[in-house]
Amino acid sequence: MAAGRRRSITAGAALLALAGCAAPSSEAPEAADRPWDDVLAEADGQTVDLWMYGGDEAGNAYVDDVLAPAAAGLGVTVRRVPVADTGDALDRVLSERQAGVTDGEVDLVWVNGENYATGRQAGAWLCDWALDLPNREHTDPDDPLLENDFGVPVEGCESPWHKAQFTLVYDSARVPEPPTTLAGVLDWAQANPGRFTYPAPPDFTGSVFVRQVLSSVAAGPGEVPLEYSQEAYDEYAPALFDRLAELDPALWRGGETYPQSQQELDRLFADGEVDMTMTYGPATLTDLVADGTVPPTTRVLTLEEGTFGNASFLAIPSTSGDAAGAQVVADLALSPEQQVAKADPGTWGQFTVLDLERLDEADRAAFEQLPASPVVPPYEELSQNAQAELSADWVGPLDEGWRRSVLAP
Amino acid sequence: MGLRKDPRAPHHSHARGGALHAGHAALAAWLVLPLVPLVLWAAADRWTAPAVLPQAWGTAGLRDAVDAGAGTGFLRSTVLGLVVAALATPLGAMAGRALATHRVPLGGAVLAVLLSPLVLPPFAVALGLDVLLLRLGVPSPVGVVLLLTVAALPYTTVLMRAAYAAHDRGFEDEARTLGATARQTVFHVQLPLLAPALAGAAFLAFLVGWSDYVVTLLVGGGQLVTLPLLVASAAAATGNEAQVAVLSLSSVLPPLVLLVAVGLVGRRARA
Repeated sequence: MAAGRRRSITAGAALLALAGCAAPSSEAPEAADRPWDDVLAEADGQTVDLWMYGGDEAGNAYVDDVLAPAAAGLGVTVRRVPVADTGDALDRVLSERQAGVTDGEVDLVWVNGENYATGRQAGAWLCDWALDLPNREHTDPDDPLLENDFGVPVEGCESPWHKAQFTLVYDSARVPEPPTTLAGVLDWAQANPGRFTYPAPPDFTGSVFVRQVLSSVAAGPGEVPLEYSQEAYDEYAPALFDRLAELDPALWRGGETYPQSQQELDRLFADGEVDMTMTYGPATLTDLVADGTVPPTTRVLTLEEGTFGNASFLAIPSTSGDAAGAQVVADLALSPEQQVAKADPGTWGQFTVLDLERLDEADRAAFEQLPASPVVPPYEELSQNAQAELSADWVGPLDEGWRRSVLAP
Repeated sequence: MGLRKDPRAPHHSHARGGALHAGHAALAAWLVLPLVPLVLWAAADRWTAPAVLPQAWGTAGLRDAVDAGAGTGFLRSTVLGLVVAALATPLGAMAGRALATHRVPLGGAVLAVLLSPLVLPPFAVALGLDVLLLRLGVPSPVGVVLLLTVAALPYTTVLMRAAYAAHDRGFEDEARTLGATARQTVFHVQLPLLAPALAGAAFLAFLVGWSDYVVTLLVGGGQLVTLPLLVASAAAATGNEAQVAVLSLSSVLPPLVLLVAVGLVGRRARA
C-alpha cells in the first residue's frame, strides 16, 4: 500500500506508452442490475483470483482455511495470489484495462486508500454492485468509514471487509508510565533520546503518523479540513514540520536515518532498539506477541484524542471475467459467520464492519462471546474518538513536504 | 583442452600457495557467511533479541513455507528456469557465433540491441510490454517465457560470443576433412568443445527465470506463483522471518547445486 507514488508514475507511464492507441474511458463500468439468484447461478463454477498483500500469515490462513472452503460450498473456487504490495495488483489491472481485456486475471483485490483512489481515476473498478449484496443489510448505511475511503466516495465500487485503527504500540516493561496524548508521546520521545522513531514517508504507516501529528499540532481533531487545499496546507503544514524537525535530533540514531518501512520499525522494536512502534493493522499484534516476535509486555497505547480509523475493502476490477463469482465471495466475506470467524483473535482478529445492532440475537451473541485478545483492546475502546482520515489528496503534499523540511532541511 | 601443461611454467612457491589458499578461504567465507543467519532463522521457532542464538528450534518456518505453497512454487520456478534456459541458450549460442565470426553487418549495433534489456529497468519493460502482449492476446505463460528469454539473451550471447571467439575452428575443419557430416561436426566436435560455455550460459539463463518477480507477476497475471513471489510477499512483514528464511534457502540451494554441476562440466572439459 505504500507505493502510491510509484503507482501514479506507472499509471502515467502506461498512459504515455499507449498514447495513440485508443485510451480506455475513465468512467467506471457498472455491474448489471439483476436478481441475486442470477448472480449466484452465474458464479457457480467460476474461479475467483483474489489478489492480496501476502505478508500477513494469519490473513493468508483465514482466506485459505475459512473463506475459500465456504466459497467452495457456493460453487466458487477462491485462488489467493499473494503480492508484496497491493499496487502490483493495480498495475496488472491498469495494463488489462489499457489492452481492453474483459476476462482478466484479477477478480478481487483487498484494497483501500491511494490504490483505490488511483484505480477509481482510471475506471479500474467495477461499480454499482457492492450496495446490492444481500449481507450489506447488516452494515450501518451512515457509517462514515464505509461511505468514504480516504476521502474518495465508496459508492458501491468496493465492498467493506474490515475496519482498522491507527495504533501506537509500546513495551510496558520499558515505558512504565506511557503518555496519553500524541503531544505527550512527542514530549516523551524528546525526553528519551534515541528511544523513538517512525517510518519515513511515503511509507504507508509513516505517512499516517505524520498526518496524526498534523492533527495533533493543529489544536486537535477536526481542526484540519478533510478536503485538501493549498490554503489549508499552507496554514497547517508549517507547524507540523517545525514540530517534527524539532523532534528529529532526539529520534533513534539522532534522526540521521529513519526506518524505511513499518516492518523495519517493528524489527527495531522487537530488538529493543526503540520502545514504541505503530501500525494501522493492530490485529497482527496478538500473533506477534504469541510467537515471541515482540515482548510479552507489548501493549497498545490508546490516545485520549483518538486516532485515525479506516476500513479496507474488496474491489472487483472492471476487467474481471468472473465478476459474478467475485460478488458472491465479497458477499460471503460480509456475512456474520465469516465476519465473526475473522474477528476471532485466534484466526485473524480483524475488526468487523457490521453493525451489531442490525444482527439477529444469535449472531450478536457470537460476536459478544469472542475471546478477548491479551494485547489488543476491543474495537470500541480503540476507536474511541476515532478521527476521519484526511482525503488521499493530502498524502502526496505532506509526504513531499516532510522530505524537504524534516529529512533534508 | 587436451594440451599438456608447459613444463617450463614455474611451480607455485609455498608462500604463494598459502596466500592463494587464504584468498580462497576468504572468498568462501564471504559467500557462505550470509547463509549462516539464514540457516539459523530457518530452524528457529523463536529468536528474539538480544539472544545470540534462537531460543527455540523447530520446523514452524518450514510448515509456514509449505502452507504458503512453497512446494508448487518451487516446481513452477524450476520449470520456468529450465524453459528460459532451453530457449535462451541456443539462441544466445547462434547470436554469439554469428557475432564472433564477424558475419554480421553492423555487428556492434546488433550487439547493443541484444544487450539493451540489461539497461532497461525490468519494471518498465514488464509494464509496457504487458499491455502489448494483452492486446495481441498472447497467453500469459507464453508472455512470461518470451520476456524472460529476451532478458536472458544478453548473458547467453556475451558468454557464447566470447566462447566462439576463443574457439578454434580448425578442429571442425579437420573433422570435415576426415569425412564427418556437418551434423556430426556440430554434435561431436563443436558442442563438446563448447560444453563449459554452454553450461555457463544455460546456468545464467536459468537464474533469470528462476529469480524473476515483476515479469512473472505482472505479465503472468498471478497465474504462476513462483518462489520469488512467495519470498517477496512473505518478506513484506515482520514476524515471518523463519518462513522467509526457509523460502530463501530453497531459492538459493538449486542455483548452488547447478553452479557446482557447471563447474564440474568445465573441469571435465579441461581435464
